[in-house]
Amino acid sequence: MIKPLLSVSGLGISTVQDPRTLVNSVSFEIMPGEAVGVVGESGSGKTLTALSILGLLPRGVAVAGGSIVFNGTDLTKADPETMRNLRGSDISMVYQDPMTALNPVMKLGRQLLEVIESHEKLDNGSVARVEAALREVGIPQVERAMESYPHEFSGGMRQRVMIAMALLLSPKLLIADEPTTALDVTIQQQILALVSEQRRKRDMSMLWITHDLGVVANLVDRLIVMYAGNIVEAGTVQEIFTNPQHPYTHGLLSSLPSRTDKSRKRLTSIPGVPQKPWLVGNTCAFAPRCFKATSECTASAPKLVGSLEKSVACFHPMGDK
Amino acid sequence: MSLDIINVEKRYLNRASGTTINALNGVSIKVEVGQTLGIVGESGCGKSTLARAVVGLEVPSAGSITWDGAVIDNKAKDRLKSHHSQVQLVFQDPYSSLNPRQQIENSIAEAIEVHGLVAKDKITDRVTELLVMVGLDPDLRNRYPHQLSGGQRQRVCIARALSAEPKLLVLDEPVSALDVSVRAEVMNLLIDLRKNLGLTYIFISHDLAMIRYISDVIAVMYLGKIVEFGTWEEIIENPVHPYTKALIAAMPDHSIIGDPTMLARTLEGEVPDPVNLPSGCSFHSRCVLAVPSCSIIAPTLRDISNGHLVACSEV
Repeated sequence: MIKPLLSVSGLGISTVQDPRTLVNSVSFEIMPGEAVGVVGESGSGKTLTALSILGLLPRGVAVAGGSIVFNGTDLTKADPETMRNLRGSDISMVYQDPMTALNPVMKLGRQLLEVIESHEKLDNGSVARVEAALREVGIPQVERAMESYPHEFSGGMRQRVMIAMALLLSPKLLIADEPTTALDVTIQQQILALVSEQRRKRDMSMLWITHDLGVVANLVDRLIVMYAGNIVEAGTVQEIFTNPQHPYTHGLLSSLPSRTDKSRKRLTSIPGVPQKPWLVGNTCAFAPRCFKATSECTASAPKLVGSLEKSVACFHPMGDK
Repeated sequence: MSLDIINVEKRYLNRASGTTINALNGVSIKVEVGQTLGIVGESGCGKSTLARAVVGLEVPSAGSITWDGAVIDNKAKDRLKSHHSQVQLVFQDPYSSLNPRQQIENSIAEAIEVHGLVAKDKITDRVTELLVMVGLDPDLRNRYPHQLSGGQRQRVCIARALSAEPKLLVLDEPVSALDVSVRAEVMNLLIDLRKNLGLTYIFISHDLAMIRYISDVIAVMYLGKIVEFGTWEEIIENPVHPYTKALIAAMPDHSIIGDPTMLARTLEGEVPDPVNLPSGCSFHSRCVLAVPSCSIIAPTLRDISNGHLVACSEV
């Protein structure tokens, strides 16, 4: 049996002082070579979940429970040295905003060499390695790019540099936090194509975080839907898109304007706004906005049940079509 | 009554470098009353500059914009005020377009007072009426912007724009900053208001799905020019310009799933620098149909069928 590359179980994240739950008992697995998408709105806990894997939670926020097992090591118990060795080599990350993720006063070549330097000794081949990495992501005139500063590049090109940097040490897992949100649609398409190609070529696992269902529809194998700090539904892309079980997933999909509907019928909207994760308590977080909610939904929190292909945390799922 | 944009150009001089940014390079379009014009394009295509010019926040370098026969410029302050009672703008970011130190009621009341539309003692009632109109609880009137959600804030911005009783509303990316689950509600509100108040919209977005949903006619912009114009059905179902086709292909689509080839249809290269506009057709450097003459002769919009306009010599 194939072991998962990453196994997150019962992960809780909360603020350190005056504890407030931000992510509540999240469990999921990523198999070797598998691409998993995390979809959620702002405040759903998707970015915190990703940052906790790398041990990069912001100050004042910490893992409150559960485990994150990567390749046999529990990262929640790993010492800083182990985490440092892991980051950038075994697990790397691409951020949303390439302008703030790159050092504005350091030449690109130097920034990429630093990635190698932090894990191994630089040698005569290091520069060639960096140049090859930049060429692979489609940076033109690589020798010149090595001597350039980030501001000399467009947003799309900067994001390509970030991807080159993340892939430099051939990670087993790439975490991407909305890397195309700040880009124009045609440039977004280029970046998605590039990542998709590199992932297949390297047989790399991927965790892709987004608020845009359209972006991940053709990019990942499985999807996790998060709402107010909880996973409400998870499953294959096929299942989630064609047969959503959770009323939130269902509502989200039907609130998107269709590309084929000629009548342009009224969009189905979800009333209200997402709840703060720390105010949810032992109830279903979506109950206040849910058209199927009953007293059962506010009496206890539904558990995520099902298989890897399809699981849902709901007392009254939509049912099969 | 109509909005007539005729050959509008807008250039910004960068004093530090002595260069000129060509934001709008000859845009002509007519918006009839009651119609919704969708303008779609990527960053730097000039769509927001055009929006700002329509409300008089920018003065065109050349060409003219007239509303109901009156030219829009900022030369006569009085005229601009009367213009603003007819044409209002809603910005993308409801976080930065409301005064954080002003209660919601005052934000809206200020606009009513400026235009002197109702008697002073009736302003409170009018604010209530406007809040109800945009689907907000009137009890929110004493709140500050930070106490509201993004969707509620955008509704306040819409209410403030409506307080001037405008005929034309320019909506610059009105739902882009909102969470996905609240976008549909705001879109539905805009559609209801259009019907109930008989409004004319210019809806600007990079999101073709939203443009498709709300527009009667669509203009596709690239580097400060309109490259294609037509009814929404024509533009979405039967796009002709290679850029429009690429834009539609790049639109993230949740109705097609698990097909990696969807990602392969990419447009190569990036939008050229508006400081150094390409010669000829500004799209030729990225175009799959480009022939040598495209880099010499700039195509103009021509009618290919019943008002479907396209600026391309190769289609």
